[in-house]
Amino acid sequence: MDTLKLKKAWELAIAPAKQLPMNAIGMYMTGNSLQIFSIMMVFMLFKGPIEAVFRINSTFSRLETEGNRQQMVLVKLAFVGCNLLALALGVWKVNGMGLLPTTRSDWLAWETAREPLERAYYVPS
Amino acid sequence: MWLHSLQVIFAAACFVRLSAAVFADEAWNVDYHYALLGEPKEETTFFHQPNPSSKASLIYSLSEQGVLGAINPRDGSVVWRQPLLRDDTAQNASFLRAGEDRDVVVSGLGRQVAAWNAADGRLEWDLIVDGDLADVEILALDEGTPTTGAKDVIALSGGEHAAVRRIDGATGAVKWRHPLDGPDVPYQVSASATELYAIALHKTMLGYYKLKVISLDPVTGRKTDEHMLSSESELTTTDTIVSVGANSASPIIAWTDSAASVLKLNVLGTSGVSSFNIDKHGEGAVRRVRMHAPRHSNALAHFLVHYESDTAHWAEVFHIDVRNGKVEKAYSLPKAAGRGAFSTSVIDANVYFTRVTQTEVVTVASASHGILSRWSLQGARVADNSNSTPEPIHAVSEVSFKDNAVSAVRTALYTSTGDWILLRNGSPAWTRPEILATTIAATFAAPAEAEALVKQLQAEAHSNPVQAYSHRLQRHIADLKLLPAILSSLPQRIIDAFFGNSAEGGIGHDGFGFHQIIACATKSGRVVAFDAASPTKILWNRQVADLQPGQSWQPSLYSPRGGVIVVRSRADIGVEYSATDGELLASTLPVAEREVPSSKAMQYTIRSGGLEATLGERSAWHFVPANGETVISLVPRPINDPVASIGKVLGDRRVLYKYLDPNLALLVTGRNASRTASFYVLNTVSGAVIHSSMHTGVDLDAPISSMMSENWFAYSFTAEASDDSPKGHQLVVGELFESLVPNDRGLLSAKANYSSLESGAEPFSLVHTYQIPERISKMAVTRTRQGITSRQLLAVLPDSNALVGIPYGVLDPRRPVHRDPTKDEQMEGLVKYTPVLDFDPKWYLNHQREVVGIKDVETSPALIESTSLVFAYGLDIFGTRLSPSFSFDILGKDFNKFQMLATVAALAVATFVVAPLVMRKQVDQRWKLL
Repeated sequence: MDTLKLKKAWELAIAPAKQLPMNAIGMYMTGNSLQIFSIMMVFMLFKGPIEAVFRINSTFSRLETEGNRQQMVLVKLAFVGCNLLALALGVWKVNGMGLLPTTRSDWLAWETAREPLERAYYVPS
Repeated sequence: MWLHSLQVIFAAACFVRLSAAVFADEAWNVDYHYALLGEPKEETTFFHQPNPSSKASLIYSLSEQGVLGAINPRDGSVVWRQPLLRDDTAQNASFLRAGEDRDVVVSGLGRQVAAWNAADGRLEWDLIVDGDLADVEILALDEGTPTTGAKDVIALSGGEHAAVRRIDGATGAVKWRHPLDGPDVPYQVSASATELYAIALHKTMLGYYKLKVISLDPVTGRKTDEHMLSSESELTTTDTIVSVGANSASPIIAWTDSAASVLKLNVLGTSGVSSFNIDKHGEGAVRRVRMHAPRHSNALAHFLVHYESDTAHWAEVFHIDVRNGKVEKAYSLPKAAGRGAFSTSVIDANVYFTRVTQTEVVTVASASHGILSRWSLQGARVADNSNSTPEPIHAVSEVSFKDNAVSAVRTALYTSTGDWILLRNGSPAWTRPEILATTIAATFAAPAEAEALVKQLQAEAHSNPVQAYSHRLQRHIADLKLLPAILSSLPQRIIDAFFGNSAEGGIGHDGFGFHQIIACATKSGRVVAFDAASPTKILWNRQVADLQPGQSWQPSLYSPRGGVIVVRSRADIGVEYSATDGELLASTLPVAEREVPSSKAMQYTIRSGGLEATLGERSAWHFVPANGETVISLVPRPINDPVASIGKVLGDRRVLYKYLDPNLALLVTGRNASRTASFYVLNTVSGAVIHSSMHTGVDLDAPISSMMSENWFAYSFTAEASDDSPKGHQLVVGELFESLVPNDRGLLSAKANYSSLESGAEPFSLVHTYQIPERISKMAVTRTRQGITSRQLLAVLPDSNALVGIPYGVLDPRRPVHRDPTKDEQMEGLVKYTPVLDFDPKWYLNHQREVVGIKDVETSPALIESTSLVFAYGLDIFGTRLSPSFSFDILGKDFNKFQMLATVAALAVATFVVAPLVMRKQVDQRWKLL
């Protein structure tokens, strides 16, 4: 019974990773423009893994027994890892859309012009 | 469900309408244009009927500024106008004549005699004579048979080859020419019905002038007689010659002695001189004597002599006995306080004089002193400025008669405030602010109200929270006093808001900063101010400089803070005036001391053919142009030139850093011998040349305009034809960067401050040259509050009388050459470089109007970021509002608020209608589930 449950748990843990290729294709297809559709998809991409990680205990509670607790830790870690992969996909997508402040121009507003120590004024003759 | 989709369709339809309306043309709403003639001259202004068969007449004038034009006396609009050839250096006399019942007017200015169609202003013919014109007259010969063709013109020219010419009125061909030899200076010509007189000034050995009258036969041009008038030693200057009568039954010549105590008259063709003592009326010396005589050969030989003292004026009317040439005084008009203007009108043969004093308009006939009509000028205070009453300078009138009584008098009056006013029976019909045509400096000033609020907000920001709170509370309580006024104006404001007039309104509630005051300093020493958003009303008009005749001033105007205008002539003390009403505030410290904030401020100026900079007392650097070059112009970067971003973001989100140095200036020098022009960008602290370029084959007579702003400069010049290129006009735009490598700040890296003297960091420049269709005489650039909005280069095109706003994106020196832009460059909006730049018709700010004679363009930021105010002056006055990046922070005038509210209301109604249906559906669903 425990092995069956463990097998089932592994399946659950790997499930997000299985969705990754499909998600990646979906993200690639939507393009990098800022449109309501692609923004919604990106939002879902972030929402899914984060929710999954928070619900991790309830997800595996049915399959968890005294006997397989040791192995379950590994399963849960794998689950978290898969979800993080999905999150990474989201971050990649957001970066592609230009929403991550990773370039010089994003911090340009905090740079200031150099002050000249001297000033010269024109006096019309 | 279908109801819901209907809603969506309805809403969508509304939005489609809205978005289609964003780019509607705002021409004639946000811009204004005064088509001016310039100050009308007394001798060259008259009423004339362009079509002899019709009674309607126009006012013709050839102004001090050399612009000939016709004004419709009904509404003051310009029917046509022609700027005449003119070189500004010589103070040329100008003449304008119209023959009786003829449809041409003849002008004379400089060396050009020209005939213009009176109805539409087309040139009929013109003739250039060899020597400056001394007089132009229309020959009103009584040749027995009534001629239908144009009347001939007599022109008197001076100079080395002084001569009298008779010019055919139809073709402009010279019929005969009579040379005036000898040292005498030609003065005037005068024609009676049968004879022609040329008057020359003969200088005696003692330095006095004598009048020499030469009689000519009008048909052949032969001299028939010549005699000298015995003016003894009375004429020391030509100023005391009152008048040489023009076309009239018996032309007269009048002069006074230098003390203006005796008036001497001579009827031309006779040798007798009659003298009249000038009655001084007890007080003050007579300052000026003028004569008003009809200019018609068949009018009665009556004339009026107008005397002016410092405090009063009066007049005497004289009659000439045509048979024996005797002059006698008929009656006199009483003295009136202040200055006055007299004008002559002729109906049939009768002569009428119209007198405008400070209080009334009076018409009398020349035959008797009985007053035919009198209208009070009370309540018709000409310009609404309180500090001085405008005085009449000169006037022309048209009198209409009905049933042997004066039915109407129209008087075009020029006042000391520089307004040209049409008085219809004593009440003003229109006003033309012709003084604005002489504007030589102008500035924008924010109204004091806006400034006060800014100050209060600053006070609140800089005090502790409790104080700030109480300050704010007090401010709001003070604001409560305005509540009744706001409440009463509320309905009007709501209506205005519905119909999209919200940007207009008084200076008081101006949230956008469109209501800035424009102050113009004129050549005659006055300052005229008006509101940029309602330019039809002159706010105030005030004499600030007391200039003697012939004296000129070089004013500069600026606004150090809201509500204040500082007028400064040359480098002396500035005088502050209130921007809203022109009241004198205070004389300020010498400007040079006040403007300079720190001791490390350098001053530089153009001196002895080069640039000289001083630091305190010490000399800092000299810039002497290369051998033979002379300085043409110097354009420093504006002191107040906000820049929002210190770099340019590239398509791949990297940054190209701008070279921003407030001490940059663009110097233009030219060298006549080799026809070259050099352009230097200087660091004015160290005197170092940062960028320079030299162009050969430059036409140095054509205007060379230049401009410097932010980190870019522009200049334009006319290149002469050479072996490998045709004559053309070029516009060069250069941009300075700290480094051409993205994300690199150059040598100084991220240092917070730097000294131009110690660091040798030089910018990298990119330059593009464009071939443009016409020359640019002046450049300016739009300015916005924070410099976020993209820029437009404003260029004055003198050849097409236009002002264009060229978007910077079109001029960008980073446009790729010889290749299509890459994807990243496309994202920046860069397009492939094309050497020929045509002015897009959409760039023309003046649209279809002709903006003539623009000398300079001023720009000022509005309170909202998107908008820049533009004001151009010279001869015409033109102003507009520009949004180079479109109006992103304000709803357009055509935003239909009513439609938007209707959409919201419709949606609300639909929601109420649908709500019960949805409710029932939900209830039904619950029942089904359970």
